[in-house]
Amino acid sequence: MRHWILTKEGKYEFRQGKDAEKEAAQVAAQCPHFQPDEEEEQVADENCSCYNCRYRRWTQESFLCLKL
Amino acid sequence: MKILVAIDDTDNIDSRGTGELADLLSKYLEEKGWGKGGALTRHQLLVHPDIPYTSHNSSMCFAAEIDASNLAAYIEYAGHFLEKESAEGSDPGLCVAAIEQITFPDELIAFGYRAKQVVLTKNNAYELAKRLDIHLSEHGGSGQGVIGALAGVALRLTANDGRFRGKLKVKSRDDLLSVGEIKKQTPVTVVKSLDDMLVLDEDSIILMGEKLKAVLLEGQCTLLVFPTGMNDPKWQSCTTSQLRKF
Repeated sequence: MRHWILTKEGKYEFRQGKDAEKEAAQVAAQCPHFQPDEEEEQVADENCSCYNCRYRRWTQESFLCLKL
Repeated sequence: MKILVAIDDTDNIDSRGTGELADLLSKYLEEKGWGKGGALTRHQLLVHPDIPYTSHNSSMCFAAEIDASNLAAYIEYAGHFLEKESAEGSDPGLCVAAIEQITFPDELIAFGYRAKQVVLTKNNAYELAKRLDIHLSEHGGSGQGVIGALAGVALRLTANDGRFRGKLKVKSRDDLLSVGEIKKQTPVTVVKSLDDMLVLDEDSIILMGEKLKAVLLEGQCTLLVFPTGMNDPKWQSCTTSQLRKF
């Protein structure tokens, strides 16, 4: 769980923020929940990336994983 | 008459996206013989803990031509459509504006930009829509989507915001195409460099990347490119991550 910060609301937020393409792809590659979001909502070059996943919810600094 | 139609907050985490519903609404115009819907643009709104968005807080908008006599029927259809097709737990909103009848476009545009910067309320949206005589309606849940719907129309009206929905499809040899050929094969009307917004001439050769997306800039369907660092080809289409800020 080294990529995640537990928020006070009990959600997991991606520690590396919005500009860590490599790490977001690495995490998604290992994730059983990854599902690509709609094409218009994809923002990463790697198809399989947390940044392109329908279960991420963007926050001001990063995103929450809705499956953790 | 030319109208802008925007919808927001129609989805939940497992449902089809707002873009798909907007696309169906756009196509319906032609199916009914009432007019013709155009390409969809996606507009990013503020991401903030006080805003109850599903996952990204974006709004979808399209321009359309419609016979004025069919406008009321279309708005009624679109409202029922959202009530029927929006996902459980969503808060759908619909905005329809006749472009030439918008009395104070600057006020509307200012609302769109504010929706990217501050938390707005349904009252803010309804008051402005009423003053500018723009159709704004909610179709389920809290109806919070009216804020994004109005902002979607406003941001589309700027002619300088958002990415077009869908990937551009081209046929090329060795992934190389001239600007002229790109314009022939796609809805793109101009090709510009990302860094300085230089307009490329028709003969410039572009190395086409895997995912080709256009953005709305100065009212044009724009393909953005960046230098390859080589002499030939000199330009490459922008990647998905480079277009994220649009």
